[in-house]
Amino acid sequence: MKHLIKVIRTARRLTVIALLACAGLPAHAAAPVDKIQAMLARPPILCGRFDQSKQLVGIKKPLLSNGRFCVVNGKGVLWRTLQPFPNTLRLKRDEIVQMQGDRVAMRMDAKQEPVVRMINGVLFSLLAGDLSQLDKLFELDGSVQGNSWKVALKAREPALAKAIGTLALTGGAYVKTVTIDEASGDRTEITFSGLQSGPTAMTAEEGAALE
Amino acid sequence: MALVWALVVGLLLAHNGYLWLVKGVVPDTDILALLPVEQRDPVLQQAFTHMVDAAQQRLIVMVGADDWDQARAAADSYSAVLAKHPELLQSSVKLSAQSQQDWLAPAQQMRLGLLTPAQQQALREQPAKYWADSALQQLYSPFSGPKLGAWQDDPFGLFSGWVQARAQETPVRPRDGYLFVEEKGRPYIVLLLNLRQPAFSMATQQALLPLLEQAATAARHTVPSVELIRAGVVLHAGAGSAQASREMSTIGIGSLLGIVLLMWLTFRSLRPIAMIVLSIGVGCLAAFSLCWIIFGQVHLLTLVFGASLIGVAQDYGIYFLCSRVAADQSLNSQQLLRRLMPGLTLTLAAAVIGYIGLALTPFPGLRQMALFSVLGLVFAWLTVIFWFPALLKPATLKSSSFAGWIGRTRRHWPLLGWNRASLLAAVLFAAFASIGIARLQVNDDIRSLQTPPKELLAEQIKLGKLLDAPTPVQFYLVRGASAEQVLQREEALKLKLEPLVARHIISGYQAMSNWTPSLQAQNANRALVSQALLGDDGPLKMLAAQLGEDAGWVTQMRNRALAGGSAGHELTPAEFLKSAASEPSRHLWLGQVTGAQGNVYASIVALRGVNNYADLPILKRAADQLDGVQWVDKVSEISSVLGHYRQYMGWVLLCAYAAIYLLLFMRYRLAAWRVLASPALATLAILAVLGWSGQPLQLFHVLALMLVLGLGVDYGIFLQEQGMQRDRFAWLTVGLSAASALLSFGLLALSGTPPLHAFGLTMLIGIAVVWMIAPCFSQDSQQEEEKNAITS
Repeated sequence: MKHLIKVIRTARRLTVIALLACAGLPAHAAAPVDKIQAMLARPPILCGRFDQSKQLVGIKKPLLSNGRFCVVNGKGVLWRTLQPFPNTLRLKRDEIVQMQGDRVAMRMDAKQEPVVRMINGVLFSLLAGDLSQLDKLFELDGSVQGNSWKVALKAREPALAKAIGTLALTGGAYVKTVTIDEASGDRTEITFSGLQSGPTAMTAEEGAALE
Repeated sequence: MALVWALVVGLLLAHNGYLWLVKGVVPDTDILALLPVEQRDPVLQQAFTHMVDAAQQRLIVMVGADDWDQARAAADSYSAVLAKHPELLQSSVKLSAQSQQDWLAPAQQMRLGLLTPAQQQALREQPAKYWADSALQQLYSPFSGPKLGAWQDDPFGLFSGWVQARAQETPVRPRDGYLFVEEKGRPYIVLLLNLRQPAFSMATQQALLPLLEQAATAARHTVPSVELIRAGVVLHAGAGSAQASREMSTIGIGSLLGIVLLMWLTFRSLRPIAMIVLSIGVGCLAAFSLCWIIFGQVHLLTLVFGASLIGVAQDYGIYFLCSRVAADQSLNSQQLLRRLMPGLTLTLAAAVIGYIGLALTPFPGLRQMALFSVLGLVFAWLTVIFWFPALLKPATLKSSSFAGWIGRTRRHWPLLGWNRASLLAAVLFAAFASIGIARLQVNDDIRSLQTPPKELLAEQIKLGKLLDAPTPVQFYLVRGASAEQVLQREEALKLKLEPLVARHIISGYQAMSNWTPSLQAQNANRALVSQALLGDDGPLKMLAAQLGEDAGWVTQMRNRALAGGSAGHELTPAEFLKSAASEPSRHLWLGQVTGAQGNVYASIVALRGVNNYADLPILKRAADQLDGVQWVDKVSEISSVLGHYRQYMGWVLLCAYAAIYLLLFMRYRLAAWRVLASPALATLAILAVLGWSGQPLQLFHVLALMLVLGLGVDYGIFLQEQGMQRDRFAWLTVGLSAASALLSFGLLALSGTPPLHAFGLTMLIGIAVVWMIAPCFSQDSQQEEEKNAITS
């Protein structure tokens, strides 16, 4: 049970990361969600800048951070915080590693923690344009206005909902913002900008980090 | 007398009929019933029962597939079949949303008192900056590992770390309402099932095994590539029972056919066969009836052993029949019986002496077997005494040419005397026996008594690896005057186990104190956290500066932290056990138990990943010099009990030889040794053969040696007892008896059950040797041999 909560929190973050790269998922019906999928682009490599603002209960000022992220289809996700201090999160099929500078701050691998593969599996199936996994965990509700859209995600299981709260995404051809509202009152907003796709989007350093 | 006996037999028949037809009795198949009841240490006994009973009723099925959806579909099909039989099986895990939410509540309230050993070390050694930095990293990172609840409740991630350490105690994880583990990308759904009927009951096995097969078929129908791995005591018990029943029928039919054939060849009449079957039948009926009355249950192995032992009972009938054929027609059967009485009485007495040794062992199963055998023999004997003279008139039977031929073969046997040939034989035998016996090894390992089917064993090993489950037969038993003392002692033990985890001797341990540390440890943890993290100039203040918060914020955070786990709200095992989270740990806590020294508290510290038996002494040593901690290794304990009784039975055997010698001495005086020489030499020969062939000696060999003595004495007595002119019929008696004993016990040597095989092999060699050499110790003179040759 303990791990479900952990998985859910982990999965939430990953879902968010995955969703923002959720370029062009196959459209099948006329529902808004399917329209949104049709609006999304679908590059094999997507990189860009993120700005994150966290508002935590009990802390007056919002916590601001920014950095770069890359999503490589079928390979993994690299999330590099640059400000206020460097921190790198790398997700691959069998492991999740967090680096503080050169020090490994946290490592979860599938051998030690079986859910890692499941989390990453969900992520990768999302990247491949398979919404069925996401649909199992969340109720999706969206609307489209012109070139932009928004989607609200609500966990299907009560325990899951309690642990992760609600997610909201907005975007056009790409995801623009992600908002996470937790049951505890903590709120996180992530905004993406300067998105690039194609082989030149990723620096050599980033490519090496994902190898 | 014959009429009185008819009444007794009538009663026995009625009782057996009642037992089998009305009550529908099923023999007990629990192998543990054959082991002595441990009465020395009630707490230890309870701890073991606690572990084993839980394990015994559990059935684990793992459903593996290429992906999660397939695994789910296959598991659902499998479960659906089992769900139709809730009276037999019950799924032991229900993952409700409620239990998922509530499971951590008691621990969460007490989080300040909960630290892992690594966290304790870091809190002692790391500077304030380390903790402030970690807290900031967590704040800014999009993903910071497990986090439970609001950030302010666990700013340094200590509670999350503790929860993660608890999670590492098992690789099993909940997912979509299932339990699952993963290996090399392959998901396995774990179905935990509880048997609601005794695992060792044959009725359970007969109902369960086809049901599991049906469920497997359903799962395969849904997902053809499904992989099913099963483990459970009931599967082994089922395989064992099936094997025992199979062997019982083949051995039973084989020996019956052999005996019937022998009798037919000898007497050319069905009457003697019917009479011997009658005497054995009465023996069996009586043994079963009386054993049931005395023990309230009859073990399947008792029937297997007992049915074979009753084969001895045929000796009495054969002896009478052969004598009748040989006796003068003028002698009526009552007179003949009177003449045979000394020999008959002596053989019964000698056999009973042998089995009394068996009855003296503390093994309840062996006592039952001994009593079963003695009762069977006595009743068969009485049947011969009371009924045979009336059923067999002097003219009823005639000798056959086969019987004559067997009888005549005796003159080919050399007689032992003071001559070169005898001396040479003695020297050769002495060399063979002494070298063989010098090479004899012993093995009392209980594992060598079990040969589970290979697939079952392979599945069990794979399942054990996937689940990394603790072993139920090796653990530490921790005792104390109070729950608190038990927890403190567990913590002392864990300090010794940590290095063993680091050395990969064990992969981990499960202990109650992992979940609820002792109050002492909880207080120490609180003090450690307060001092290292919550101090005025500590990490909290540095964090406040970074976040732009003031001193008021620091105070507020400190108060918030201290409120979580203040004194007076300590977590106790009693409290923890009420929560859903304790479900996987409940088997560890024995609580208050009544022991030899009054009431004590006790718990179990279970070990995971014990793969190498050579490491067991290291684990045993870890408990040394720790008060109230005891290493329990039930496997080696039972093995040492078996070894103890192997030695004990060896002495019983020697004493039986002495006692029987005294008995024989009363009748035969200085010739008594001639009766005992052949079983004694056969015993030496068996030990030597085991030594030469490298087979270790174990309890069941020694038990068979007891029977070799019993039968060997019979043959010696028959050969010694008969009048000279009839000695070829004595030899016929021995030949018939030995051949049928070989048929019944020789077939036991074919058994796949190691104890029965050991028993059968010993009997095979022993009886063959006794049969071959018994005539060599006769007193017969050469003249008698010649006389026999002429008359025949």
